[in-house]
Parts: sequence; C-alpha cells; structure tokens
Amino acid sequence: MNELLPFVIIGITTGSVYGLAAMGLVLTYKTSGIFNFAHGSIAALAAYAFYDLNVLRGLPWPVAVALVVGVLPPLLALVLERIATRLADASVTMKIVATVGLQLAITSALLAHYGGQSLPFPAFLPVDTVSLLGIEVGIDQLVSTGIAATGALAFYLFFRRSRLGVRMRAVVDDPDLLSLSGTGPVAVRRAAWLIGTWFAAISGLLLAPQIGLDALLLTLLVVQAYGAAAVGLFRNLPATYAGGLLIGLLTALATKFVVGSEMLAGLPPAIPFLVLFVVLLVAGKRRLVEVGGQLRAPVSSPLLTPGTTRVVVLVTLAVAVVIPLLVGAKLPVYSNALVFVLIFASLHLLVHTSGQASLAHAGLVAVGAAAFSHLAVGAGLPWLVAVLLAGAIAVPVGMLVAVPAIRLSGLFLALGTFGFGLLLERVAYRTDVMFGTTSTLEATRPAGFASDTAFYYVLLGFAVAGGLVVAAVNRSRLGRLLRAMADSPTTLTTLGLGVNVTRVTVFAISAFLAGVAGSLYASQSLSATGTPFTAYNSLVWLAVLVLFAMARSAAPVLAALFVAVAPAYGGGEAMVDWMPVFFGLGALLVALHQAGARPSGEAQAADALKAGSRSDERVGGGSAAAERLAEVAATALVNATRNGSGAPHGARLRIGAPR
Amino acid sequence: MSAGLLVDGLTIRFGGLTAVDGVTLAAPQGRVTGLIGPNGAGKTTTFNACSGLLRPSAGTVSLFGQDVTAASAAARARRGLGRTFQRMDLFDSLTVEQNIALGLKARLARGHPIKQLVSSRADRKAVRAATEEALELCELGKLRREPAGALSTGQRRRVDLGRVLAGGFSMLLLDEPSSGLDTAETVRFGQLVSRVVDERDCGVLLVEHDMALVVAICDYLYVLDFGELIFEGTPDEVRGSEVVRAAYLGSEAA
Repeated sequence: MNELLPFVIIGITTGSVYGLAAMGLVLTYKTSGIFNFAHGSIAALAAYAFYDLNVLRGLPWPVAVALVVGVLPPLLALVLERIATRLADASVTMKIVATVGLQLAITSALLAHYGGQSLPFPAFLPVDTVSLLGIEVGIDQLVSTGIAATGALAFYLFFRRSRLGVRMRAVVDDPDLLSLSGTGPVAVRRAAWLIGTWFAAISGLLLAPQIGLDALLLTLLVVQAYGAAAVGLFRNLPATYAGGLLIGLLTALATKFVVGSEMLAGLPPAIPFLVLFVVLLVAGKRRLVEVGGQLRAPVSSPLLTPGTTRVVVLVTLAVAVVIPLLVGAKLPVYSNALVFVLIFASLHLLVHTSGQASLAHAGLVAVGAAAFSHLAVGAGLPWLVAVLLAGAIAVPVGMLVAVPAIRLSGLFLALGTFGFGLLLERVAYRTDVMFGTTSTLEATRPAGFASDTAFYYVLLGFAVAGGLVVAAVNRSRLGRLLRAMADSPTTLTTLGLGVNVTRVTVFAISAFLAGVAGSLYASQSLSATGTPFTAYNSLVWLAVLVLFAMARSAAPVLAALFVAVAPAYGGGEAMVDWMPVFFGLGALLVALHQAGARPSGEAQAADALKAGSRSDERVGGGSAAAERLAEVAATALVNATRNGSGAPHGARLRIGAPR
Repeated sequence: MSAGLLVDGLTIRFGGLTAVDGVTLAAPQGRVTGLIGPNGAGKTTTFNACSGLLRPSAGTVSLFGQDVTAASAAARARRGLGRTFQRMDLFDSLTVEQNIALGLKARLARGHPIKQLVSSRADRKAVRAATEEALELCELGKLRREPAGALSTGQRRRVDLGRVLAGGFSMLLLDEPSSGLDTAETVRFGQLVSRVVDERDCGVLLVEHDMALVVAICDYLYVLDFGELIFEGTPDEVRGSEVVRAAYLGSEAA
C-alpha cells in the first residue's frame, strides 16, 4: 500500500487540476453551447504569460500571478463570449472548426514566439516536503490540490446558491426567458466565460511547474479535461470534478503498473481518452443532450454546372500530367499532394456525403502505412498486393470507428472519434503490430517505378482511381442514402432502411481508401512512421476540408494542395512557423462569417417555425436535439465558405507524437 | 374489417412523467382513423411508439396481426408501416423527386449491405414507377427538380406524403399533416388522403388539430387528454360528447 501512496498523491494533485479545468469547460459549454477546443491553449497561454512576466521581465511571482489571473482571463472572456454568441446558431461542424482554429492560432503563436523546445518553468510554490501519513509530500502539491479543490468547491456553491449562479443556470435552460426577467444573458454569459477562462488559466499555472513549459504538452494536458467532462456527461459539475480526480488517479496508478513495459508505456497518458471514449459510448445519444440550437443551413446551388465540371476536371488532369516537367526539385511536394487528395477524398465521403464529423481519420491512414510496410517489406508481398491488402486491413479499424457513429452524433461523435484516434496513437502506434518502438519502418516503391517522376504517375493513377471510387459511390444508391442520412437518419429508419448498416458501410469504404493512402504515403517517403498521422492532425484535416467544402467535389483537391503544396512556397523559416497561426485565425473567421450569414430563405425559416418545425417531436430524451445536429452538419458543410490564409504545416503541428 | 394497427394498453413514461397511460386503439385497413386531443395530450408520443421510435413502458403494438412491440422502426416500416412527421423531416439537400424515390428505395435497401450499395434493374424500374405515381398524386410534377429545402410548407407537406405513398406502405401514420397549410390546401389534402385510402385500401391513423379536416375524412375517432383515452366514436358522436367538449373542443369553441 505504501508503495502506491505516492502515486495516489500525484494522481490527486493532477486530478484535481484536471477537474478544475474540466469544470470550466463544462460551464462554458453549458452556458453557450460552444465546446471550447481552445480551453487547453488558454492554459498554455497563461503559463507562458507568467513565464514572460516572471522570468523574462523579472517581475516578482505574486505580481506575475496577479497579472496573469487578473488581466488575461477577463480580456479573453470578452472575446470568447462574442465569438460564442456569434456562433450560437452555427452548425456543429462550424462550432468545432471555430474553436479548433482558435486553439491552432494560440498554440502555434506560442510555439512561433517562444520556440518549440520545452522551457524550464519557475517553481513559484515552495518545493519543500512535509511528512503526511508516513510519506513525503511536496508543499507545492498540497497547495496546488488545495487551490483546485477550493476553486471547485467555491464555484459549486456559487453556482447553486448565489443569484448570479442561479442566473447562469437559467441561461442554460432558456436565455430568452431570462432576458424577459430583466437580466441580460450577455452579462451572465460573460461571467460564465470569465470563470471558465479563469479555471483554464489557473490549471495552466498549476500544471506548468510539474511538466515544464511546453505549449503542445500543456494544450494537450487540458485536453485530458475532455475525459473528465465526459464523466459528468458534459453537464454535471460535481461529477466532472470527480471525473478529473478519477482520471488523475487512474493515470498515476497506471504509470506504476506499466513500469518496465515498452509496449504499455503509451497506456497511462491515453487513459483520459480511454475514459472519454468509453463513457461516450456507454452513455450514447439518449443520455448526452447537446446544448444550443442550430439553424438549418441554407441549401446552396452548386458552383459549377455538370458541363463546366467536366472541363475543370480535364484541365486539372492535364495540369497534373505535366507537373513533373514544370516543378523540378519540388516534385515530392506534389507527390505528397496526390496522396492527400486520396486522404481528403476518403474524409470527404464521411464528412460531406454522409454528414458525420469523424476525427479518427489520421489513425486509419497510419494503420494503412504500418500494414503496408509489414506486408511489402516484412512479408515481401508484391507492391500492389501489399497496397490493396493494407487498405483492407484498415477496413475493420474503420468499422470500429463506426461504432461511435452508431451510438453518437454531432459534437459527441466528433469527441468520441477524437478519443478513439488519440487512443490508437498513444497505445497502438508504438506496438510491434504498427510502427514498433523504433517508430519508423521501411517502405518500398514498385519495381520499375522507383524514380520520383515515375512514382508520381503511379500516385496520380491512384488519386484518379480514388476520385472515381468516390464519384461512383456518390452516384450509387448508397450515395443517395448517405446524403439522405446526413439530412435525417430517423426518417430513413421510418422508411425501412437499416441506417447502421449504411454507417458501417461508408466507414468501411472510407477506411479502405485511407488505408491505401497510408500505404502510398509510406511508399512515397520510403518509410512508414506515425509522425504525420497524429490524432491532432485529424482535427487539422477536418478544419481544412470544411474550409473548402463550398468547392464540393473539388474540395479534396484544393485541401490537398493547401496542406501539402502551400507550405513549400511559404517564404522563410519564420513565415512557416507563423503560418498555422494565420490558418487557425482564418478557420475561426470563416466559421464566424458562416454563422453570421443568415439563411437566404428567411421566409422559409419563418415558415418552418410556423409549422412548429422543431417543436414536440421529442423522441426519447435528447435524441431529437442530437439528431438535428447530424442533420445540420451535412448541409452546413455544403455551405462552408472561403478558405483561410496560410497553411497548417503537417509535421510542425503535432502533439504527443509517438517517441 | 381487417386488422391494421392495433395498440393495446400502451403506457409510456419519461422518468416520473406518464405521457401515455394505458391507451388502446385500432386503426383498420381501408379506413381513416383519427387521434385527437389538446396539445400535450400524448398524440405524437403514441405515434412514436407505434412507429418504433420509442419503446413503450407497457402494452403492445401489433401490425397486421403480428406483435411488433419489440421490432425496430425499420423493421416495422418493412412490414408496411409508414409515417410522416409534424416537422416535415425532408431530405433538404435532395430534390423533390429524389426525396420521393427514397420512400421506396430505403425500403428496398433494408439493412442489406449489398442492396444498399447497388440497385437491381427491377428495383430501379419499381422505384421509377412508384415515384411517378406519387408525384402525380401529390401534384408535384412541376417541382420535381427543386431542392426540398427551398419549398413552402404546403409543398413540403405534399412531399412528405408523397414519400410514404411511393413507399407503398399499407398503414400510414400522418402527424398533423394540415399544420401550416391554408384552408384550400387543407381541403385538397383531405381529398388526396381519402382517394389514396379508397384506391389502395390502406389504413390511415391521423393526428390532427383541424377539426374540419378530421370530421371530413375520418371514419372513427379517438380522443386523448393527459395521456388517457377519454372518448372514442364516430365524428358525430365525438362532436356530441360533453367529455370531449370540456376537455378539448370547449376550449376552442370559447
């Protein structure tokens, strides 16, 4: 028992900080309907601000803390409240893209300004130890647990007892009603964002001394709060705090039990995502009620007529064929772009055609890459056979991702698949089944096509074939069923369709294409590694794809050019560092713009309201609300507008890549 | 009178709230059966239990003589139960024609992976014929290429109905089909429903607020209030009933 106690103490210390961060996350989600993916980057921002003031500018630590806690959160809260209000009616996908963009912007700005290497964080709390129950406990640990627990308790009492707390709960229930009673919902929402931001900032200050100053790590550590929030079903604050403690404890204890095992070393940090994934799956649609409303996005007409589309396709193909003659040494960049066309085409099928926001896509590509290396190099299979088999191996994994798609929709589907992607990355990537502990495997190109130019044409062939597959699916009965499912799965069910089969089928097809793309990526770079396929990149990919969604079928091509080619032409070193910042801000602006644009058919919206369009069709708890999200997600994608500026640099922005 | 839809002792609770309490009703084929009651009486909840979107806390639902209480919504649809939605849940990004074709397509595709992927020649022919017939019945021929999201409420109602008609369902649940329609549209809608029932010998269970429409097309009525059946009878009997007047019509007549 005594051996376990130190781990228990570490678990409680970190756990209560997670709990605090998670309470802030849940509070802002409940009052605004916006799930703040940027919560973690606010924690990182606070820690860096403290570092800047205390270490770089030499202010005494109490002053620095006072400034960080007293000035930063109110400013951020004002901005966030504006953003959230503006996004109130946006589609789920846009809400996700907006805060993902903000997170990208903040985190990469910190990286660009302070550098990517971890900085020593001043231990501002005393590090002496006292003896407690026979073991030495750091005073800083006690203080940090104390602060987090006090904060959580004080907030809970405030929320239950004070007038403002009661109003906050009223905002959660019905903002319109609250404004009738004379209290501006804006003031209440601001207060909620202030508290949420405070909790994020404080958790950043408390976590940084323990893990050092690392923007990516800090951002991700607060991502652990997602798991805690899930335990509270994204609404119950005490349960959320308890969830934080549970995750802290499980993680710390797991650290003890996997000591010495290379294979399981990835398990402890993955526990929060395991909790997130399992809790979401078990809870299911019925118990997870999404907050906030969405407007039905207007139906836009296609940009291009079928005739012009044909011309555009032919011209694009012609350009693609002559590219090797034009770009010289930059050819590998374009080869990568072709692989990304296939990746985005497979994601497009899920996100656009079937209206399901999946955040586990990078994991499927990684499975393909690893499987290809084992088959082509390990088992010595012919190249093409290995590529196709690798695609086939990704299929069951894809079908596994379809399980959350059956149980969840909207935001919770996105979070569930994100949890799955993180799990895969943390636990599976480094096992021998995938990339192994060395994390890099060999890969080959087909005999006779080893040169960059020759292989470029092989990739072009695959990209075209992938495009044809997606086009064929879109035109088939399945394509029609998928688009209908994006609009309204319940209706399809009442017409006799087994929609779960449809979901599994589309995930299987998408996974096959993703697996093939993974093989090609490995083949192109002559090595298979998980580095470009972190779960975090799934977020980035979704954001990029959504930005180009207005281009419809051309979206995968544009997104691929944006991700793979744009960085190669992006000015100097500093420029490349700052590009993700602009990209993040661009994504945020596009989402805001999209949310600001009211549906063109105002009359139609009024009409629908008159008919009681969203009134009492409640089907068992919240599933009607949950389903509306799924309905809206797809139509919104059609209307996502304009691209951001700059580009995410694939390799630059990754979190917790397998070592 | 052949057994269409039979609901026996249906009870549905949401937590502590009993939304529907021991409701028993029958909607035979070849007839229009009405289910009326004030707002919140449990009509839509009853509908959801009939179509399989809700599991009843107690009671049974049977369709054409077979117990379907445990069957999924899709399984009930495959046995011939179709429904419309009060909120007109159309596939907004698809055209009118595609929406209507899906009525039969979804039913043919079932839960079968291959059938969902591709359609056989015979299927395509059947879908085309059913779609044309439904388009004509619902007077939607001119709108066939319009996206469903761009239609008016009246047009959306017709698409919703056209979709279940194309599906060839033999028992239709229509949820407040007249809400959002003007008087002329309502009258045409009523005529359309009567015609379909006559021609296809299918049964209709209708939830409706518009008493004129109910009286005009229903053969038999059930009246719900606070989740309980308070009266049943022909439209004339219902109109003469004091109980119903007090619970429902009274508030409208006042």
